Amino acid sequence: MRIESKAEQANEVDMTPMIDIVFQLIAFFMVITNFEQTQADERVKLPKDALAKPPTVKREFPLTINVGFERDTKGNKIDPEAWVFFGDEQFRVEQAGRKLKDEQEYFKTIGTDPKEVTVEIRADAEVPTGQVQELIKMSQESGFEKFALRATQESN
Amino acid sequence: MKIRNRGKGEKIEAQMAPMIDVVFQLLIFFMLTLKIVEPEGDFNINMPIGAPSTQTSEEINLPDIKVRLISNDTGQLVDLQLGRQSLGNGQEAFERLNHKIEQVIGGANNPLTKDMEVEIDADYNLHYSYIIEAISKCRGRLGPPPNYDLIPYVEKIKFAAPRPPS
Repeated sequence: MRIESKAEQANEVDMTPMIDIVFQLIAFFMVITNFEQTQADERVKLPKDALAKPPTVKREFPLTINVGFERDTKGNKIDPEAWVFFGDEQFRVEQAGRKLKDEQEYFKTIGTDPKEVTVEIRADAEVPTGQVQELIKMSQESGFEKFALRATQESN
Repeated sequence: MKIRNRGKGEKIEAQMAPMIDVVFQLLIFFMLTLKIVEPEGDFNINMPIGAPSTQTSEEINLPDIKVRLISNDTGQLVDLQLGRQSLGNGQEAFERLNHKIEQVIGGANNPLTKDMEVEIDADYNLHYSYIIEAISKCRGRLGPPPNYDLIPYVEKIKFAAPRPPS
């Protein structure tokens, strides 16, 4: 029995293909993983619609506002009133006016006219429509004129 | 200088076990950070603030299509109305809305009615999903496979003033 040769065989594996496979896997997962910060808050469950197509031309100046509910792990609402999720903060819809004024100032300081900014509203399916309308009105008072309502694309 | 030359070429004798461990670590890291995101789409809406927009002449010629959505206290749709006509509620109501809009504009891609606007008037409590559905049904319908291109009806959608919460 030539046990020795078997032991030798284990050590004689060529490393190059192994390293190639490792790099392939890393590259694959790096492409799949979306590291882009799209300001899409996970807590907002958008309504589904078949006609919702992603914009073909990337928007130059988007401003994303997330409106949703605090939910537990099962999906039930912890708080029946809607919250606006903005970055790390959350506040009620009525108080969003202040934040929108801040955003208006920010856009002015970086030299962008708020009229060119598209406000993307990501609202949960169960948000009262009146609150979305109030958000739109407050945004208009802060100088924003373009609006887009987001929905997830329903697959055919 | 002692140049080590084995004659048949040097082979790196690396151990496999740590390599496999590192591969698994990387795999698990990327599997955990992988987030499968559903593609999102937009509906653009017009919100005239009160100052007349650039298409004032068209607005005088073509009246707005008024869509009214009435809800109950919990935000469910009770009635969907087009102009004065009630279309009911439920999914069939929205399908009827889609057909009626096509009739009102006289067929898809009609150049005469290109600038017609739909005004959506909804109760305060109505769930936002119904609004999206109404906008979608006014915007058009999907064409035949394989592309399912959009056949457009009305491009311009706006909201009426918010009604006070009941």
